[in-house]
Amino acid sequence: MGTERPLVQEAVQPHGERAAEAQHIRQKLNEIWILFRIQFAEIRESWIWIFFMASMFPFSTLLFLKFYTVNPTPEAMIRIIVGNMVFAVIVMGINALAQEISWQKHQGHFVYYASLPISKLNFVLAVFLRGFLTSFPSVVIIAAIGQLIYGIHFHYSFGLIPVFLLSMLACVGIGTMIGFVSPNHQFTNLLAQTLLMVISFLSPVMVTMEMLPKMLQWLSYLFPTTYVANAFRDLFIHGWTHAVTVNTAVLSGYVILSFLVIYRFVEWRVER
Amino acid sequence: MPILYEVSHVEKTYKKGKVRANRDISFTVQQGEILGVFGPNGAGKSTLIKQLVGHIKPTSGEIRFEGKDIFKQTNRLARLVSYYAQEPHALTSLKVREVITFTGRLRGMPKRAAEREADILLEQLHLTDVQHKLLKRISGGQKRLVGIAAALIGDMKALILDEPTNELDPENRRLVWNLILEYNRTRGVTVLLVTHNVLEAEQVVDRVMVIDRGQLLAIDTVGRLKQLVDQRLRIEVTSRFGEREKTENALKKWGEVIVLSENRLRLMVDKHRASAIVSEIIEQSDAIACEEYKLIPPSLEDVYFHLGGKEALTHGN
Repeated sequence: MGTERPLVQEAVQPHGERAAEAQHIRQKLNEIWILFRIQFAEIRESWIWIFFMASMFPFSTLLFLKFYTVNPTPEAMIRIIVGNMVFAVIVMGINALAQEISWQKHQGHFVYYASLPISKLNFVLAVFLRGFLTSFPSVVIIAAIGQLIYGIHFHYSFGLIPVFLLSMLACVGIGTMIGFVSPNHQFTNLLAQTLLMVISFLSPVMVTMEMLPKMLQWLSYLFPTTYVANAFRDLFIHGWTHAVTVNTAVLSGYVILSFLVIYRFVEWRVER
Repeated sequence: MPILYEVSHVEKTYKKGKVRANRDISFTVQQGEILGVFGPNGAGKSTLIKQLVGHIKPTSGEIRFEGKDIFKQTNRLARLVSYYAQEPHALTSLKVREVITFTGRLRGMPKRAAEREADILLEQLHLTDVQHKLLKRISGGQKRLVGIAAALIGDMKALILDEPTNELDPENRRLVWNLILEYNRTRGVTVLLVTHNVLEAEQVVDRVMVIDRGQLLAIDTVGRLKQLVDQRLRIEVTSRFGEREKTENALKKWGEVIVLSENRLRLMVDKHRASAIVSEIIEQSDAIACEEYKLIPPSLEDVYFHLGGKEALTHGN
């Protein structure tokens, strides 16, 4: 009898642990699903405004460059279209998202989430998804309209899917990070607007790297948008190349880094 | 009773020590009690409460929940302690029922249990009619009630409520007080209640703490705290319109008279003589132009004013 008891316990305990673990995983999946639904509800409420805001600036610039440039080469056309696609990501994924998160933070919205036993990982993932959903439509629309206006066709490949996802998430990561660390809403506004102008017009988004002075070239290497624009341009013109692999690797690094910075260093529950 | 919270020498300073929101605060919260937290605006109540829920870290001192430092168990704390500070702004795009069920599910409740409890809360708080409306489309008072329902859903050990009845009409205030009492009595939930509504809170709290300028001035049972204030009873008399002076002169022979308004007076009397004086007032009501009277014992409001509510004292008493 003395030897039976531990055997029975051993048989029962792992099963109990497994059940508890499965229950924990189910709970975490439920949690992320509900957090997604909350974010989605907000987008559903204001999708017309999001669509308008995300498309208006890049669409205007796209038209302006169409009127301004005379007989552009196919490369120049793709550069203009890709530049405006990236512009759309900057508007929604960095500018608007940073301001939205900062606004929520300073309006006390995080108090609700901080009062619940949810994991920071899930909360950050839900915010990333929000950024992705708000940036995605305008990028696709600008790509479609751009091809129509300039009468060209992109080179499509399956490589577009990971590049597209990573491009969105890398920019969304920056926007989320700015929003989370924002000391006050005015500062976030100022920073987001400055970044919008600097990244869009003083980094190789609308222009090529060679067109910029050395100092801006060095600065451009800090922005994920430089790699987004490079990857898209190469993909649309040549398909998947070594340069696309390098750009994709850098973008993956940006996604991981921004996620880790938010996850590890940003305190959302405890104010010191 | 077992101790739920243990607060030891908590200090919270801002701006490099220039602003001291909480100064050397120590107290305990017993499991199952309702503790009222009173104090004037800017007294440091909300800062203290935010430290109790683990949203702000004290500059020094320690806060323990069930014997363990709360900052070593923030997730567990969020599971066991519900905090209500305002309506749930973060969820304005959701429907009322979703707000409550989602909150329950984020606290770990199974879907059906969360829905069942949400339905009960919707009914208790008279929100059933608006359950399918977006939170942003209902009235301010209803939003507050939804916030309270969201705070109440789930199996919590403690409820920390910061001004739960603000902006509510009398009927809804009563509804909320009754619900808080019910949760305390039937589920044994410990309640920490920050409110300015001292008169209403007096009906539900077991103990009271008064905070002013970041310091804990007093913490005790309602009965013992009342002994701190003027033990004289107050007889509030309404005189016939235009005859206040007549009433005032007549009342002066029984004690100190304070004029409250054009035809309202307060007579302060020794509690042992109160019964006899009331009888005389009734007998002479015509002669002294008394239209109405009421006898008021020392209240928690008096304690609040006596200890901390200096602003209110000037126009309240």
